[in-house]
Amino acid sequence: MIDVLQQLLGRLHPLVVHLPIGFIILGLLLQWYDRKQNQYSEVIAFTYLCAGIAATLACITGYLQYIGEGYSFETVKWHLWSGIATALFSFLMYAKFKQLNLVAFISKVPVIGLSIIFFVLISFTGHQGGNITHGEDYLVEPLPNSIKSALGYDTFEEKEITLTEENWQDALIYEEVIQPILNNKCVSCHNPKKAKGELMLHSAEAIINGGENGEVLVAQDTEHSELFSRMVLPIEDDNHMPPEGKTQPTKEEIKLVGAWVDAGHPFEGSIQKSKLPKELFVSFFPNKHDVDHPDIEIPKASQDSIKAIKAIGVYVDPISESTNFLSVSCINQSSFSDGDFEILVPIKNQISRLDLGGTQVTDAIFEMLGTLPNLTILKLDYTKITGEKISLLENLEHLKTINLTGSDFQQKLDVFLNFKNLNKIYLYKTQVDPTGAKSLNNGKVSIDYGDYQLPAIASDSIIY
Amino acid sequence: MKHNSDIVNRLLREKLERETQAKTRRHFIKSCAQGMGGLALSSIFMGCDPLSPSKPKTNSGLASGLSERDLNPLSTLAPHYGPKVKSVIYLHMAGAPSQLEMFDYKPELQKYDGEDCPQSLLEGKKFAFIKGTPKLMGPQADFKQEGESGNWVSNFLPHFKSVVDEVAFLKAVHTDQFNHGPAQLFMHTGSPRLGRPSIGSWATYGLGSENQNLPGFVVLTSGGNTPDAGKSVWGSGFLPSVYQGVQCRSKGDPVLYIDDPDGISRNLKKSTIDAINEINKEEYVKYADPEILARINQYEMAYRMQIAVPEVMNINNEPEHIKQMYGVEQGKESFANNCLLARKLVEDGVRFVQLFDWGWDTHGNVREGSVDLGLRNKCREIDRPMTALILDLKQRGLLDDTLIVWGGEFGRTPMQENRGNKEMAYKGRDHHGDAFTMWMAGGGIKKGASHGLTDDIGFSGIDGRVSVHDVHATILHLLGFDHEEFTYEFQGRPFRLTDVEGEIIKEILA
Repeated sequence: MIDVLQQLLGRLHPLVVHLPIGFIILGLLLQWYDRKQNQYSEVIAFTYLCAGIAATLACITGYLQYIGEGYSFETVKWHLWSGIATALFSFLMYAKFKQLNLVAFISKVPVIGLSIIFFVLISFTGHQGGNITHGEDYLVEPLPNSIKSALGYDTFEEKEITLTEENWQDALIYEEVIQPILNNKCVSCHNPKKAKGELMLHSAEAIINGGENGEVLVAQDTEHSELFSRMVLPIEDDNHMPPEGKTQPTKEEIKLVGAWVDAGHPFEGSIQKSKLPKELFVSFFPNKHDVDHPDIEIPKASQDSIKAIKAIGVYVDPISESTNFLSVSCINQSSFSDGDFEILVPIKNQISRLDLGGTQVTDAIFEMLGTLPNLTILKLDYTKITGEKISLLENLEHLKTINLTGSDFQQKLDVFLNFKNLNKIYLYKTQVDPTGAKSLNNGKVSIDYGDYQLPAIASDSIIY
Repeated sequence: MKHNSDIVNRLLREKLERETQAKTRRHFIKSCAQGMGGLALSSIFMGCDPLSPSKPKTNSGLASGLSERDLNPLSTLAPHYGPKVKSVIYLHMAGAPSQLEMFDYKPELQKYDGEDCPQSLLEGKKFAFIKGTPKLMGPQADFKQEGESGNWVSNFLPHFKSVVDEVAFLKAVHTDQFNHGPAQLFMHTGSPRLGRPSIGSWATYGLGSENQNLPGFVVLTSGGNTPDAGKSVWGSGFLPSVYQGVQCRSKGDPVLYIDDPDGISRNLKKSTIDAINEINKEEYVKYADPEILARINQYEMAYRMQIAVPEVMNINNEPEHIKQMYGVEQGKESFANNCLLARKLVEDGVRFVQLFDWGWDTHGNVREGSVDLGLRNKCREIDRPMTALILDLKQRGLLDDTLIVWGGEFGRTPMQENRGNKEMAYKGRDHHGDAFTMWMAGGGIKKGASHGLTDDIGFSGIDGRVSVHDVHATILHLLGFDHEEFTYEFQGRPFRLTDVEGEIIKEILA
């Protein structure tokens, strides 16, 4: 009976500890409130008396828990000593405010000094207690890796999957593909230091050993391989892994782990040997060039410049959420002219797609367009440009497409010969002879003169 | 004295009443939302907030946390990843065209022409009209391999042959619906039942529209009838109604009542709208209700559209050779006119153009509905226009930015229809969802590709079967969306166009 009571009281410790914390904080706040008048010493003293009694209770229950739950002294020693110190300090503060000069030195130390020590003490004690219940890295865990390592904590280094179109078959299936996935998404909770569910996923042996519920891998059986099946449970499910709130594996990663289990979870050998199909790995290849913008990273354009451009009715938007390159179009602003270009200058590095179709721009625009280093697609259709000075664009190394449909363009095609990456020119309804070359630079640049016809045929008018 | 105090009391009472009236529930929640409690509330209510897209929006820093979207629901947003196309032109042949007379060449079927259909094929299948044991019917058209790709096209489509290398065929699309209405709904909203947003609504909701003077989603119909499923096939479902398709007529006023009424000049209209907006602005200053700003914006947009819509819908100014290329019939409502309009709309930055051509239901009950005669007429009506559409977009450099999708709501049976177990007056085929052909062309599409294979008689897909959801996933992919991430919170759960299915058809992507 006494055992039961002892254990029960012990387990009340995490509850009781909040009382002294509350009282002490209240006492400190009252001290601050009373800092000028000094008329509530009685009340403050009473608060600290309560704190002292509550802290003593907390110490007793704490000790019972330490005995009853089998903690090692090594684990609890700091918490235990600082807890006792807190209790004693509470009484000391009580004495100070009651002006019971029990010990001579108390009256000499300024009260503010004591208060600071007291605050540090209660914080330290509380923190030590928290470390015992939640684990030492409880507060650190949500921090990004960079901060963690700066604070001196072990991190599980993010491993990147580096596969390419050329070498994907030679990559090692476990070491270079599966292991990085598990490492980045699972190992922070399943490692030798912190093995939740007694499961470790940091090495092949550990994975095979499984956790408290037994094995997590059943060869060629994704349904019974918990390593996989828990990842595909709905995220709200308690058994879903990684738990809600943690970084989730992508659907490509989940698919890959599933395919790996289906293939008998080989820990050795290359992808080729595992016979897994290419499409599983394609999403890990470096991003293919997008048609609309250069394959480089650039800083974001300033919101203010974008706002200013939008304010004059010119359309500006990111090409997609995954890039900072912008698409600019004058579709709503046909009065745009050479002089208006200035407003685009602050975003000149970000413009990759520029539609000046149907605007008032003239040949003077080429000088300005030449200052857009990342211009990829340029539309000048239905403008008055004749193409004089278009060669100013030849140093734009990303420029792929120029649309001159319906413009007054009238230059010889030689002007395009020195363009770096140009591959398409639209010349429909221009003054260029449509019988000219259909391509330039050995087919690198193709030219569309348009003017397609659909000749009338007999069946056009046969009605059945 | 008494009299005076009466007046004062009445005034006070009126003031109180006015104040109470002004404090509506909306204002209550609004003022709540400024406090911490309101923050919690608004997150609880998020599920029923019709203006909360689940994709993050760029807030242009307007006062009181209003995004540009709240003011102008058609303002543009960036898609998830690099889009291959900016616009879509969807050509829907309402009634379901026969793949067996157009694209899916089945020489074996000719051998079995007139023979009873094997029972094994009929077991467990549902047909709209076929009863008992129907007879197989060979293709009623001649086929040839065309272009460098060598894809099959029938002699019903003589012009289309010339652009066969531009398109990618899906030969084994399947649907689980076998009646027009539900199948059309399924094809356009991802569900055979009413209530879901159409694909064009999803696209305009997700991307907005570049041209602020035109609707983002335009619908054009031809063939003398609108689709069986009604306007829901271009409806916005649970999305805000501003994203529904705007049906424009190619004959008469493009939008009904778009002209100013007699005696009302455009200036007067402008002053009226300005006056209303002034009052609305005052209201906004008073109550800071974002709906008021949205309303102001919409009045102005409608005013601009009054000019821009008739302009873009006018094909008379097109040069003669372009009209000839499409086979335009001036003053009529025709597929050819609609194709030319589609090009003009896309050229002007409209996000989604949906064409419905009615009259493809070839059961064989009437002459127009026969696969050898009526179908041929229908093919002639679309052959030149859709070919011209591809070529015209191409020569303007627009095909790089535009996706063209062609298809019906399902296909047709390899068996001749025997409605009421009797021989029909004409050659016809029943509804068939197991395997039918669609094609796509434009940006991001692998030119000259053909994906999917049907069995020897064209009854079922045996390789490369793709579902309606797969087609949707592919269209969204080309517009730059991850179809699994592109969702809308409604009734407490996120909804997707592709529901819980859909795989991108990589085989037809460049």
